[in-house]
Amino acid sequence: MSHIVVDPITRIEGHLRIEAEVDGGVITDAWSSCTMWRGIEKILNGRDPRDAWYFTQRICGVCTTVHALASVRAVENTLEIVPPLNAQLIRELITATQFVQDHVVHFYHLHALDWVDIVSALDADPAATAKLAGSISNYSRSSEGHFATVKERLAGFVGRGQLGPFTNGYWGHPAYKLPPEGNLLAVSHYLDALEFQRRYIEMHAILGGKNPHLQTYLVGGMAIPIDPNSQNAINAGTIARLRSLLQEGLDFVTQAYIPDLLLVASFYPEWTAIGGGVGNYLAFGDFPEGQQNPSMDPDNLYLPRGIILNKDLSKVVPVVPEKITEYISHSWYSYEGGDGEALPPLEGETTPNYTGPEPPYEQLNTDAKYSWLKSPRYDDLAMEVGPLARMLVAYGSGHKRVQELVGAVLGQLGVGPEALFSTLGRTAARGIETQVLAEHSLTLLDRLTANIDGGDLQIHNGYRWDPKDWPAEASGFGMHEAPRGGLSHWVKIADGKIASYQAVVPSTWNAGPRDTNGVRGAYESALLDTPIADPEKPLEILRTIHSFDPCMACAAH
Amino acid sequence: MPVVDAPTDSILHALASHGVTRRRFLEFCAATTALLALPQSYAPRIARALEDKKKPTVVWLEFQDCAGNTESFLRAVSPSVGDIVLDVLAVEYHETIMAAAGFQAEAAKDAAVAAGGHIVVVEGSVPTGANGVYCTIGGKSAVQILEEVTAGAAAVITVGTCSSYGGLPAASPNPTGAVGVPELVSGVPVINLPGCPMNVDNMVATIVHFLTFGALPAVDGEGRPLFAYGERIHDHCERRAHFDAGQFAQEWGDEGHRKGWCLYKMGCKGPSTFHNCPSIRWNGGTSWPIGAGHGCVGCSEPAFWDTMTPIYGRLPAPPGFGVTTSVEQIGAGIVGLTAAGFAAHGLIKAGQRKRAHKQDEAPIEIESATADDEEGAGQ
Amino acid sequence: MTTDATPRPQDEAIERTPSTELVVAKVWELPVRVVHWTIFVSVVVLSFIGFYIGTPFLSTGSDPGFLMGGMRAVHNLAAFTFIAAILARIIWAFTGNKWSHWDQFVPFAKDRRANAKDAFRYYVFLSDDPPHEAGHNALAGATYFVLFTMFLVQVLTGLALLSLESEGFLASTTGWVFSIAPIPWVRFLHHLIMWLTWGFVIHHVYSAWLVDSDAKAGLMSSIFTGWKRLPPEDL
Ligand code: HEM
Ligand code: HEM
Ligand code: NFV
Ligand code: SF4
Ligand code: SF4
Ligand code: F3S
Ligand SMILES: [Mg+2]
Repeated sequence: MSHIVVDPITRIEGHLRIEAEVDGGVITDAWSSCTMWRGIEKILNGRDPRDAWYFTQRICGVCTTVHALASVRAVENTLEIVPPLNAQLIRELITATQFVQDHVVHFYHLHALDWVDIVSALDADPAATAKLAGSISNYSRSSEGHFATVKERLAGFVGRGQLGPFTNGYWGHPAYKLPPEGNLLAVSHYLDALEFQRRYIEMHAILGGKNPHLQTYLVGGMAIPIDPNSQNAINAGTIARLRSLLQEGLDFVTQAYIPDLLLVASFYPEWTAIGGGVGNYLAFGDFPEGQQNPSMDPDNLYLPRGIILNKDLSKVVPVVPEKITEYISHSWYSYEGGDGEALPPLEGETTPNYTGPEPPYEQLNTDAKYSWLKSPRYDDLAMEVGPLARMLVAYGSGHKRVQELVGAVLGQLGVGPEALFSTLGRTAARGIETQVLAEHSLTLLDRLTANIDGGDLQIHNGYRWDPKDWPAEASGFGMHEAPRGGLSHWVKIADGKIASYQAVVPSTWNAGPRDTNGVRGAYESALLDTPIADPEKPLEILRTIHSFDPCMACAAH
Repeated sequence: MPVVDAPTDSILHALASHGVTRRRFLEFCAATTALLALPQSYAPRIARALEDKKKPTVVWLEFQDCAGNTESFLRAVSPSVGDIVLDVLAVEYHETIMAAAGFQAEAAKDAAVAAGGHIVVVEGSVPTGANGVYCTIGGKSAVQILEEVTAGAAAVITVGTCSSYGGLPAASPNPTGAVGVPELVSGVPVINLPGCPMNVDNMVATIVHFLTFGALPAVDGEGRPLFAYGERIHDHCERRAHFDAGQFAQEWGDEGHRKGWCLYKMGCKGPSTFHNCPSIRWNGGTSWPIGAGHGCVGCSEPAFWDTMTPIYGRLPAPPGFGVTTSVEQIGAGIVGLTAAGFAAHGLIKAGQRKRAHKQDEAPIEIESATADDEEGAGQ
Repeated sequence: MTTDATPRPQDEAIERTPSTELVVAKVWELPVRVVHWTIFVSVVVLSFIGFYIGTPFLSTGSDPGFLMGGMRAVHNLAAFTFIAAILARIIWAFTGNKWSHWDQFVPFAKDRRANAKDAFRYYVFLSDDPPHEAGHNALAGATYFVLFTMFLVQVLTGLALLSLESEGFLASTTGWVFSIAPIPWVRFLHHLIMWLTWGFVIHHVYSAWLVDSDAKAGLMSSIFTGWKRLPPEDL
């Protein structure tokens, strides 16, 4: 039996530490710990609620749009402000493209090296690689010459002996199964995806001035004006540019991401039976089909709201936001009423109480508090959130496009729906969702264009912009389905100031420590029974953890 | 496609080996020369310097950050992040992108540091409260890691306001005792590239400057390079003509806002902020905050989280008042209270005089004398 | 210019009034009066424009104009006039007559302390006898000291704000201001002092009127003409 510590977990956002017991070549227990905290919820106290989006946006620079959106929604709900349709559609457009960019970067730059052995690509035959590429997709950069150049570049890079970010990878690990040509193909697309993501996200600069950290959200709407007759506003030219970028995104997903995903998955069928986890899936849903407030009005969301319990796809349970609570018995916080209880976010407290070892330390005391994350629970149940939860809820709710794509992917891999409850299922769900949203983004742009054509130029609802029109006290929440899962912000406003602010974040749901009842969160559960070939090189831990796309800045905030 | 025969250490060869033509390379050098505010005659010198240099080792540390600066880094256009990470620099440690994990990752860092002469890039603030427990990596606190990694370094570049000045984590009430990196590093030159996040073009230019001249560029009083932070947003803003004209957006989406008028009344902090956003813009020159209709928040200024907020007010709200209380309200209050106070004083004095008048006879002569006096004085 | 405390021929008539024995004195020399009214006019202009800079309540609408640009130019012009007036007054505090001397602004000397006590008793209703003093009473002098300190801060913050627009002399001489307070707070202070100044003006005009109506020495008119009419022992 051995105790493994992986700290830092890299190729994620932030500071995550995994400790695991390995017995007989499999993981028998696991602990997930986030080792960084800033106190943003406390910093928000006493500030102007209209500024909150700008602060919370900095919870994370990777999912840079999501906390801004959850925050303006929370404040709008609290003050009963309804943003105009144009603003709603621009927000959704930004969100859909955030999903595409975030998922592409995750697949190629954060997750791929768990399955792709860079060094093995040096043995690839460029001609055979071109043939392989041609057999899975009509993606343009697939000539023999192109792969020869990539291989040469890689060879030069390895030959110089300065491996840079690829230094000390688990290269040559027996769990790598892709043939050299598959590896070379992936390396080539790794580079292409770097270029793609930065060009594609120029869309956010068009709509929000810059990315990361778009500067365009407002309580009550958006700050990017619309005027077909102005060169300082969204006009026909901007829309044409957006359309071409959206199309480019859809092409990249269809021609590179999805085929690459299927190729990689086909070499790792055993990973459809590893990494399942808690088995309960929660999605808040998003992308309203009408002009509606998606936090309060869950009907008619393009990505539906719901819960799948115990992997039972036949039933989607409705979500009651009031059933959300957070435990801290294993988190470095204290609650006034005792550390054992669970608090709903509107009554939530954030009082740091570090009881861990003094740094530098070798091992955490996992019997006591061991993480900066709280343990969110729904109706006292641990939940997994994220692309898999969303695709399962959509699938169970009868979402046509999702059912189609899930069916196609399962068919091509020759597995049944139960394969979805796994590490590979999570990774596949993310790819499917990217396809769905890359398509949906064009629909959103069409709706925005049609609305502008109809003469509507409004981007902001000035009702209650002025704090003197606010009630003396009010509270509420905003929900958003972020790339990594369901996100909710909860706010209390008193005398024009923030009196309390709590964010309950996707990666907190997944990466949180055990709760008072000893129930494990999604990461800890998913790691159980994972085979470990070499405890010195726990590649398998990275695979399952990366399949969640961890973001610790989000999770701990 | 130009192909190099043998791999060499030069950056030009590295760039050329995957199809960056010499022309594109020289264009990059010219653009960087301009960004650095150097005469164009320096461009060949920059090109030569880059051609000769071995890939410099970079250790990129993330502490109390949001990875926004890493994301900004991924948006590099010319050279692209692929070029930078694979060919221009040897990024031996960067948690968000590196392949190795756990102790293998730490080993890569230790090796790079042991070799010395490396460039340290730091993203995020450093918590000093509670003995540094608010940020640990591999069991070590950020303070400990920073000390280890900066020893023997050639230079430290702080990217983002958190790393330069403490940023968001240090905003009041600074729950973790967060500070900027310069407060903790000594003996190694440090340069600040604040911004939330930093603009990658400025980072590339800083590194090129360092490789070309062997020293960091000149800085202002806040430790920021003058070539990027020497002038105000307001003085290069494309909406400045509207400011001078007195044309202001008054409400979001009104005619002025749609026409690109000045955002001063919407709380723009451009008049108090030093950054080159208006000229280099963001995401490969696509746009920038004011260009897209929202005021500047002052993200490159120290403590902007506390001094430039509320975002939609022009001036900070004084502590002890409501968050949206303006200096106008306070000032009018002061004037009103003073007026009321003296009015009350006047009434009491009047009452006092009436009583005094009753008690003793006022000398009539003086009154007449005063009347005369007034006449006399008025001549 | 010298102190003119001797009775003038045209004042004979009043001289002869037995019960008062008032003399006429040229208390405020021309520079003091010119400075006073220059400050007054520039403060009115600076305040109006300053308020506009802080809250641009007028807009040129679609017509191209130079409203803010013009306002700021006039603010700068008035600011330098204001600075010149302050400097002139500071010089005069060392070269002018005894009532304009710098020691009139700080109640340190024994008689000034006594005068401050009288003035205080008068202001808080403990006495109806106004303070006897040809120049400023000691309390008024102290308020002018506070005022001038505020003005110096105003000049400093104003020059520092001006230096943001330019590198060079101004920036290198006033840059240190921002190491004491960040730019937004410097603006805030500059703005706040405007309001404090108007708070002072209310107090100032009221008190001048009040004292004048009790002491009847021609205080109000003296700031226009320079002359006051007083019992000789007050000189
Ligand atoms: C009694 C004297 C003065 C008053 C009442 C006054 C008033 C004001 C006010 C209210 C503002 C607006 C501040 C804001 O909200 O940002 C302002 C701005 C300014 N004042 Fe003054 N000021 C005075 C003297 C000066 C002086 C002596 C200078 C020196 C040059 C000066 C230079 C400036 C500058 C540069 C600005 C900023 C303009 C801008 O940001 O566009 N002021 N003033
Ligand atoms: C911005 C407005 C004003 C300012 C800053 C101001 C300031 C001053 C100062 C500094 C003095 C002392 C003179 C010296 O020793 O140089 C003074 C004296 C005086 N001012 Fe003003 N003043 C203002 C407006 C006015 C107005 C509107 C009046 C009356 C209509 C007035 C009446 C007087 C009188 C009567 C004195 C002599 C009072 C004494 O002996 O203490 N002032 N003022
Ligand atoms: N977890 C998380 Fe986020 C996302 N998506 C957000 O709420 O990554 Ni930074
Ligand atoms: S400076 Fe801004 S972008 Fe950079 S780490 Fe801090 S909050 Fe994130
Ligand atoms: S928008 Fe801001 S930076 Fe631009 S001119 Fe107006 S106040 Fe200045
Ligand atoms: S908020 Fe920051 S990004 Fe530029 S425009 Fe202002 S300095
Ligand atoms: Mg929270």
